[in-house]
Amino acid sequence: MTTINERFVRQSFLSADAQPTLERAVVGLVGLGGGGSHVTQQLAHIGFLNYETYDPDAVEASNYNRLIGVLDGDVAARTSKVEIATRVIKDLQPDARVGVHRRRWQDDPGPLRGCDLIFGCVDTFAARHELEVFARRYMIPLIDIGMDVHQAGNEPPRMAGQVILSLPGGLCMTCIGFLTEEKLAKEAALYGAAGGRPQVVWPNGVLASTAVGIAVDLLTNWTRTSRDVVYLSYNGNDGTIRPHVRLQFLEGVECQHYPECEVGDPVMRWSSSTEAEASVR
Amino acid sequence: MRARVRIPATLYAAALADLKRPHAFAAERVGFMSARVGNRSGDPMLVLATGYEPVADDHYIEDDYVGARINADAIRANMQRILDTGEGSFHVHLHPHRGAPQLSRTDRREIPRLVKSFRPVGPGAAHGIIVLSEDRALGVVWGPGEPEPIEADEITVVEWPLRFLGGRR
Repeated sequence: MTTINERFVRQSFLSADAQPTLERAVVGLVGLGGGGSHVTQQLAHIGFLNYETYDPDAVEASNYNRLIGVLDGDVAARTSKVEIATRVIKDLQPDARVGVHRRRWQDDPGPLRGCDLIFGCVDTFAARHELEVFARRYMIPLIDIGMDVHQAGNEPPRMAGQVILSLPGGLCMTCIGFLTEEKLAKEAALYGAAGGRPQVVWPNGVLASTAVGIAVDLLTNWTRTSRDVVYLSYNGNDGTIRPHVRLQFLEGVECQHYPECEVGDPVMRWSSSTEAEASVR
Repeated sequence: MRARVRIPATLYAAALADLKRPHAFAAERVGFMSARVGNRSGDPMLVLATGYEPVADDHYIEDDYVGARINADAIRANMQRILDTGEGSFHVHLHPHRGAPQLSRTDRREIPRLVKSFRPVGPGAAHGIIVLSEDRALGVVWGPGEPEPIEADEITVVEWPLRFLGGRR
C-alpha cells in the first residue's frame, strides 16, 4: 500500500495545496465514450475523488477501438459505460465517491448542478448547446471536447477537434463562433441520417489530455496565468493543437448570451393586481 | 441538507473593494449580496450570487460597541429589493485577516434577527450571512422554508482559477 504522498509526489510541483483542492472538487462527466473514458482515467490517476458520471448507453462492439477501460466480455455482459468508468476510477481510487447515472443528464440533473466542473464529451452541437445553457445557469465551468473526421472528394480524410473552456462570466461557445444557428439547424435537419461517425482512440487521447490539463490548471493555477476562455483547435492530420484563430478577434468582447443575473431556478413573482399573474425570470 | 454558494468573480471583487473602503466613522462596512436558489429540490442546494449592493454612507449609525451599525432605511431598502426581485439577500462583511473567518458574537446575535425580517418578504428565497476574510469565507444559509440555518459546505468564486473559499466540505 502506497501513501498519498508517494502516489502524488511527481505532481507536487502543482502547489502545496493542489492535492486537497483536486480531492475536494466534484467533477461531472457527461458522455463516457471515447473522449469521456480518457478523461475519467486521467482524473482518477491525478487523484480526483468526487465524480458524477452520466451516460445512458451500454458498451457496443464498435466501442472497443477507443473506449478506455473496456474489457473483452463487456459487450456480451452488456456492461454500461458508467459501470466501466466506475471500475476504472475505483481500481485506481478505491475511496472515490462516484455518482453513477445510467441515463441522460437531463433526466436527473440535480447531482450535476452540484459539480464544481463539468466535462462535456458529447457528440452533437445541440447536446453541447444544451449542456452549456445548463452549466451557465448554475455557474459551472464546462470543458468541452470533440473530434470529427471529414471526407471531401478524393482528398485524404481531415481529422479535426476542439477543446473549449466555457467559463461563467467569459465568452461562451456561441461568442467564439463554435456554436452557430446554422450548425444547429443543419445538424437538426440531418438528425437520424448521420450514421456512425468516425472515431479513433488517439485524437480522443490528445483532446482529453489537453482538457484534463486545463481542468488541473483551472483548479490549481499552477501556470499562474489568467484566462476567461479557452478555445483550442486540433488538427489530427499534422498532429497540432493551437489556440483557435478566431480568438484574436474577440479581445474585449463580452458575452451577451448568458447574463450573470440569469442563474438558478426560475423565480416566480406574483403581482399584487386583482388577477394573479406570474412572471418568470 | 447541504448548501453551496457560488459567486461570480466580478461580484466578489466588487464586494471586497467596497468593504475595504474606509468610512467616516464606522470601523467596517457591510453590504448585501443578492442570490438565487438553484437545485431547490435537490442536495446540495445552490446559492448563486447575482448582485452586490453597498450600504450607503449615510445609512450607518455611530456605535462604538460594534464594527458597523446600519439604520432602518438600509434594511428597508434591502427588503424592498427582495420584494422587487424575488431574490434572497445575504449580509456581507469582511474580517480583515487571512484564514477562515468565524461569526462574531455580534453576528450570532444580530444576523438571525435580520434574516427573520427578510424571510417573510422573500419566502421562496435563501437568505443569510457571508463573512469574508482576505482569502477565505464562511456562509450561513437559511433555505426557503427551512426552520434552521446551515453552514455552507463550500463557497466558490467562479473564475480562473476557481477559488474555494472554504466551508464545511
